[in-house]
Amino acid sequence: MTSPKRLSQEQQRSLERRLKAGDERALGELFDLVAPWILGLAFRILRDEDEAEEVVGDVFVQVWRHIDQHDGGRGPIIPWILSIARNRSLDALRRRRRWWRKSAHVEQAHAAETGDIAPAAPHEAAVPGWPLHREVHAALATLAEEQRRVVLLSYFEGLSHREIARRLHQPLGTVKTRLRMAHQKLTEGLRHLKDWVE
Amino acid sequence: MTDWLGMLAAPRTPRRELKGRVVARALARRRRWGGPLAAAAVITLILGGGAWWAYRTIGRLTAERDGLVTRVQALEDTVSTFIHGPATRLIQIPVSTGGRVGSVTIFADSARHRWLVRCDGLAPNARDQAYQLWFITDRGMATAALMPMDEDQPMVMGLEMPRADQRVMGAAMSIEPRAGSASPSGPMVFHLLL
Repeated sequence: MTSPKRLSQEQQRSLERRLKAGDERALGELFDLVAPWILGLAFRILRDEDEAEEVVGDVFVQVWRHIDQHDGGRGPIIPWILSIARNRSLDALRRRRRWWRKSAHVEQAHAAETGDIAPAAPHEAAVPGWPLHREVHAALATLAEEQRRVVLLSYFEGLSHREIARRLHQPLGTVKTRLRMAHQKLTEGLRHLKDWVE
Repeated sequence: MTDWLGMLAAPRTPRRELKGRVVARALARRRRWGGPLAAAAVITLILGGGAWWAYRTIGRLTAERDGLVTRVQALEDTVSTFIHGPATRLIQIPVSTGGRVGSVTIFADSARHRWLVRCDGLAPNARDQAYQLWFITDRGMATAALMPMDEDQPMVMGLEMPRADQRVMGAAMSIEPRAGSASPSGPMVFHLLL
């Protein structure tokens, strides 16, 4: 098995500094580092390779133009980029839902979206950030099944509390409680990822 | 912290050509705005600099104009006082300097003990020389003014007459060293007893 590639905190800061200085080569390095994860996340949400690639393009445009908005003191750059990728993907998903509401395609996608999420295959271990992937999965695995479900619906589908309650046929208060407890556990479980250090 | 949840999804290896496309798109977006922004910044800088220069220049010229207006008014007052004063005496002295014929006109106001002197047609001085005007008093020659003249143009000046205990009996003008002399030593331009 290929040994996992990692990124030290200092490398991450250096990359951020170079991006802020307008170093175009740093953009290419950032792509090599996070594009697989952005593409994976976008594909997980959109279930469409072309749309996912479009999201990757949008994310890099936004990162390159607004890198100054990222406050390095508030955390690493990678989660910031992932949050952009998630928002862009959910925007695309909502646009698609609006326009293709009655399409069978949506039903098909819907069936896929409600499925659980499995860890990546071991051959992907060469992708930078692989250890994080495993850490996050491990943290998710500590949640009860009903908590994990609401987290996935909220994160990957961008559903509101009310929409999740409707989808799961559960009271709104129950959904809120499960989400709150899940977030507490995840925050606790992922606290050591504050800095992505070797 | 939940932003890390994005790492839950399995990574997908991008197609080989995606990197070039994405990076080119991101850079093009910044470059597309970079040109016009830089041009706008330069234009703003030029306009701002021009406006600042104009503001400074107008201010300087206004101050200069105000100064000249004040000076002209003062001269007008002085001339008017001399010309129309009941105790003013007008003396016009033809002079010849450097082969040219000119004149020195004196408005002598004995009431205010002031003279207004206008010189016309005097030849410009040599570099190391100057015209020096003298009061002829009952105690001897007293310097009235030193007038280095480098250009061929009229000269007007107001002069205070010597102290009350000296009686002014006439005027004289000589050519002296540029720093002036304590008593006339050079060629005399005119010497006139009033």
